[in-house]
Amino acid sequence: MNYITGYYTTRFGELWDKSLFDLVEEALRGVLKQNNLESSQIDAVFFGNMLAGVLENNLHSTSKIAEILKINVPIFRSEAACASGGVAFNLAKTYLDSNPNKNVLVIGAEKMTDYSPEETITGLSAAASGEEQETGLTFSGLYAMIANFYLEKYHYTEKNLAYVSIKNHYHGTLNEKAHFRRKITLNDVLKSPYIAYPLKVLDSSPISDGASAVIMTNNLSLAKKQKYSVSVLASEMMSDTISLKERKQIDTILATKLSGNKAFKTAKISRKNINVAEVHDCFSIAEILAMEDLGFWEKGKGGKKIKELSTMYGNGGNLIVNTSGGLKAAGHPVGATGIKQIGEIFLQLTNQAEKRQVKNAKYGLAHNVGGSGGTAVVTILAS
Amino acid sequence: MISPVKIWRRQKDIRKILNKKGKIIVWTKIYTPGSDFKKYAPYPVVLVELSTKEKIYGQLVDYDEKDLKTGKEVVSVLRKVRSSTEEGVIAYGVKFKII
Repeated sequence: MNYITGYYTTRFGELWDKSLFDLVEEALRGVLKQNNLESSQIDAVFFGNMLAGVLENNLHSTSKIAEILKINVPIFRSEAACASGGVAFNLAKTYLDSNPNKNVLVIGAEKMTDYSPEETITGLSAAASGEEQETGLTFSGLYAMIANFYLEKYHYTEKNLAYVSIKNHYHGTLNEKAHFRRKITLNDVLKSPYIAYPLKVLDSSPISDGASAVIMTNNLSLAKKQKYSVSVLASEMMSDTISLKERKQIDTILATKLSGNKAFKTAKISRKNINVAEVHDCFSIAEILAMEDLGFWEKGKGGKKIKELSTMYGNGGNLIVNTSGGLKAAGHPVGATGIKQIGEIFLQLTNQAEKRQVKNAKYGLAHNVGGSGGTAVVTILAS
Repeated sequence: MISPVKIWRRQKDIRKILNKKGKIIVWTKIYTPGSDFKKYAPYPVVLVELSTKEKIYGQLVDYDEKDLKTGKEVVSVLRKVRSSTEEGVIAYGVKFKII
């Protein structure tokens, strides 16, 4: 069994005084300190990052991490667009499965606000197919196509989508590391300008800086010595076509469906057991699809279900979703997101989530998506 | 990065999908584009299914707002698709217009 014993995240936001590796260093030192570990006790490092090569001409980041930690161990970087962090975690888990008694550090980080929005959007578009890029389709454009298709097929309106943002912004007010810490109303969402019809500014996650790290071990005696630990019941990753147009169904993220099904099978628990989940809400429509494709809600019913706000903290629901604020309010430093999601579940399962602590949370799920659905990683943890 | 060679290579594929008729199966309108498309915004992008079932993306040109609907019949045309590169090569590609 693999255990997560520590989590540290920087604040997410527009952190102009910090570089990518300032953020990386803060997260690395923070998580090591939390577990009272020296860097010499780390056997391997996994780093999730998407844009440093594209925006900063900054690759070979693995050896920069070796320089920061002053260690000589295997260090790997994963890139799978917005799922870079989740994939780093999946690789780390796979590494532990074949290497007994090891401690690994998994870190995700992104520096996005040094550039104009257009430059960052162009960088993010590198994760779309060549044909999508050629037509000027941005990521918001691809998710907007999915949203438009979904709203038309199931007869919903932009109002239905808005409830995702209302809920996640409320959760953001309870998380001191979140990029946005203010409540928003239905009217705020509906009056915000379009970025790609029918998605508006307040349907979308922001461009953020940040870094998040966890320590994972399969050394039971080390895990037992730590104040907090959770078990990793499953981490499953699936891929699908990079182009939205090549998918059989536009309103289903097949990679999510397949990785979710496999994760529940591996974890040997049912959907009803999950008390807390962090799902990939890069845009409001994405959380609705995630809830459907992970099997929590019936296909096509998500637009109606989200309006009930049963997944909002404090409403007495059995499953609370995106207590961190999600990508929408906590922020979306692309490579960090997948690790922050897993870290948030760690906080919930170890009773460290403070103002947003879900009572008696025993099982949690983290769901990370890359691109318009070309990659998905689902991780299930237990207290 | 866009190189003249890339543009030249792409032309071979583009000529095969010109003057094709099909229907809009989904659309959006982009208000916040990347750097290369900033001066064209806002612009609609459609996904079109041809009678052969092949699907092609493209921007919609010469349109009215009422044309932004699924099921509308369109035809593929050759248009400039982005600003010229530093080498001065103009990239042409597929866009659609309403029939």
